[in-house]
Amino acid sequence: MAERTPEDRLREEYFVLLPVVRRVMEELEAEVRHCLLPLSSKLHKHERLVVTSRVKDCESALGALRRRQEGATFDSDKTDSYTLTSLNDLAGVRVLAFPRSRRIEADFDFRQRFKSWASDPVPADDGGEEPLAFKYHGFCAASTMIRGELQIAPMLVGLFWDVEHSTVYKPSPELKGVGKTPEMRRRRSEVLTALKAFENEFERLVRLARSAE
Amino acid sequence: MTTLTTKTQLLEDAGYAYSFDREIYVNRKARKVFSLDFVEDHTEDVLAAKLGEPVPSTGKWHFYFNSAPSPGVERELSAILG
Repeated sequence: MAERTPEDRLREEYFVLLPVVRRVMEELEAEVRHCLLPLSSKLHKHERLVVTSRVKDCESALGALRRRQEGATFDSDKTDSYTLTSLNDLAGVRVLAFPRSRRIEADFDFRQRFKSWASDPVPADDGGEEPLAFKYHGFCAASTMIRGELQIAPMLVGLFWDVEHSTVYKPSPELKGVGKTPEMRRRRSEVLTALKAFENEFERLVRLARSAE
Repeated sequence: MTTLTTKTQLLEDAGYAYSFDREIYVNRKARKVFSLDFVEDHTEDVLAAKLGEPVPSTGKWHFYFNSAPSPGVERELSAILG
C-alpha cells in the first residue's frame, strides 16, 4: 500500500476540524456584529461597514501551511509534525469600512473587545506608519484549538483584493505568475496609493463641508 | 522591491526560472535551486557568488536554502524537478 503523504494526513485533519472551524467562524462573526452595533447605527448615508466571514478551504489551508516551509515542500519523513491548527486564519471575519475614520473607530472597538488577541497588521506598501489593514488572531469561546482571524480593511482596498485574489494568489493555471511580476507589483502599489489618495481627499472635503455648515 | 527586482534579474540572466508553486528559482541545466527565502535574505553579491559557484556534475540537485533542506524535502523536490 502507498505511504500516506503529509498532504493525505492534513486533508483528513481538515475534515475532522471543519465542524469546529465553522463554529469558531459563526461565533466570531456574531461577536463582531454585536461589537459594531453602536457604530453601525450612527453611520452617515455615504459610510459603509460590511462584515463577511469565511472558512478557509481545504486546499488553501494545505497550501498556506506548505508555503510556510522553505521551498514550499513538506518533509515526507515528518508527516506527523504538521498540523492545520497552527494556521491563524482557518476561520476568518473581515470588516470592510469606508471611510478611514470609521475604520479607525471600528478598530478601536475591536481592540477593547479582543484585548488578548495578537495583532498582525498588513503593512502598507508605501512604508507609512498606518498599516494597509488591521489584523488580529486569537481564540474564541467556541474552541481552544482553532484560532479565529479578524481583519479590518479599507473598503476600497478590500474590493480590490477580491479581484486581485483570483489573479495574484489563486490564479488559473494559464495566469500563474502573471500577477507576481515586478511590473504587476508596481501597478498594484500604484492602485493602493490611488485608493488611499481617493479616501483621504474624500474625507478632507467632508470635513470642509461640515465646518462650513 | 528594487533590490528584489535586481536579484530576480540576476537569476533570470543566469537562466533561472521561478516556480510559483514551490517558491524556488530553478536552473535545470546547472541543476541548482535557490529558495525565495535565500534570495530575499542574502545580498546581490552573495547571490552572484553562489550563482557562479561550480558544482560537481553528478546529476544531483544543489539546494541553496537558508536552512539546509532535510533528506525528505530534497527527495521530494528532486522527484518533482526530475
